Amino acid sequence: MSLVALTDVVVRRGRRDVVRGVSMTIDRGETVAVLGPNGAGKSTLLEAVGGVLPIARGSLSVDGRAASVLQTPGLARRSVRANVELALAWWGVPRRQRRARGMEALEQLRAAHLAKRDARSLSGGERRRVHVARGLALRPDLLLLDEPFAGLDPETRAVLCEDTSSALRQEAGGVLVVVHDRAEAWALADRLVVMMDGSIEASGTPGALLAAPQSAQVARFLGYDGELRRGDSSTLTRPAHVLIEPAGDLPATVTRVVPQQDGVRVELELADGVLRAWYPEPGLAPGDRVRVRLVGGVSFPAP
Amino acid sequence: MNFFLDGFEQAWELISSRDPFLMHLLRITLQVVAISTGAALLLGLPIGLALGLGRFRGRGGLVVLANAGLGLPPVVIGLILALLMFPQAPLGRFDLLFTLKGVYIAQTCLALPVVVALTISAVRELAPGLLDQARAFGAGPFAMARLALREARIGVLAATIAAVGSGLSEVGAIVLVGGNIRGYDQTLATAALESVGAGRYAEGMAIGIILLGLIVVISGLLTWLQYGRVRYQRGWSAS
Repeated sequence: MSLVALTDVVVRRGRRDVVRGVSMTIDRGETVAVLGPNGAGKSTLLEAVGGVLPIARGSLSVDGRAASVLQTPGLARRSVRANVELALAWWGVPRRQRRARGMEALEQLRAAHLAKRDARSLSGGERRRVHVARGLALRPDLLLLDEPFAGLDPETRAVLCEDTSSALRQEAGGVLVVVHDRAEAWALADRLVVMMDGSIEASGTPGALLAAPQSAQVARFLGYDGELRRGDSSTLTRPAHVLIEPAGDLPATVTRVVPQQDGVRVELELADGVLRAWYPEPGLAPGDRVRVRLVGGVSFPAP
Repeated sequence: MNFFLDGFEQAWELISSRDPFLMHLLRITLQVVAISTGAALLLGLPIGLALGLGRFRGRGGLVVLANAGLGLPPVVIGLILALLMFPQAPLGRFDLLFTLKGVYIAQTCLALPVVVALTISAVRELAPGLLDQARAFGAGPFAMARLALREARIGVLAATIAAVGSGLSEVGAIVLVGGNIRGYDQTLATAALESVGAGRYAEGMAIGIILLGLIVVISGLLTWLQYGRVRYQRGWSAS
């Protein structure tokens, strides 16, 4: 039996159906990331699974206890260690075990050095670290994380994401995490669920989804930013699919060049569409004529 | 200036000789303050928590009522209670008029809105998301209340200081309900009132000085409890 099973779940906020007929399962030991644009209903889905919001229709079963790590890292005025132990007390862990379990979780998230600090003296990144560690310490059957890295600078975000990812891999329970950023989803998830406008548009392993997105909409959301119209089909590409080389079969004009740390991102205009590519050397300028070759991409019937 | 000097002199005499009259006044004053503040905290903290954290219909109106209670005129409360405690009145059969019990009740009525109103504003200032997070981690209502009170302890102690202060200096309601009976239910404040009324200004001054000293000592103790032990919070950061 799955750890979590949702069948045609509808969740309302006020009079609006925010989650509309979602069916999915989560197994033990699996980390599922929910990805989608703002307002897609991701957090609402998480709250419903966590039991905070009632479901209007459908069925939802969770085999065990779920703990939600909310988006706002609300910490009490006391030391970091005391905060983690407090969470364990709420969860019902006997007093004798709290210290060891709390420290173990802090170590997993590389926050053990913060244990004796006053929670109010932490930086934004440190607060998030402690906040996530607190959820891990509970060892729930199902851990729900709502945008665990929201509001952090890109570097802190990347490091914390890496640490969380390795900590989650050691978890025996299931994890459902809402993320806003594709890179985070890739780092964390065994399985990815793309949600748009209240419904699940696609789901699968990150690799499979990226290689064969179910629809043009999902493809665009996953970073397919080039499009060529050919007859009644349209081909979508990611920068990795577009090679700029003299032997290429398609003529193109450079329309925009955005310098990056190692190389440039190039926007190319072709006879039947616009492609975006990455080029390892500087030197391209708008107006240059180049030749490109496509190595991949996905095709859908044109709308 | 004579009254001040005489007042200080008499105050010193009363204190240094451990005057039995003064000792009794002190005992009654502390008793009234302790019992009324204790009762107001016992009743007021749960009410303040419920009004500050709860989400229910009519909450806004009750919060306004509690805030209005901060400005309750003691004389009016005293009069209402005294009328209710008259032998033929609804509370008459409890024999509360002109008794210490009546005084405790009157002072509790005055301290209760202070505790409720200040507790509401203290728990509303709690870090956003903290209580929701506690609930999400399985905290029960009792654990949530403990967390909220502990987090809002500076405000809760402010409420306690305000309740104690009102108890120490209250005269209106206590005189009306208790009758200001010398040697029985007279407190420092009501004794000072009586002395002044009888034209014994220096004695009134002496009692007033002792009362002020007591207020400073008790408020100092509570302030130490409130802020003295949290000096480590200096490393506070904005994020």
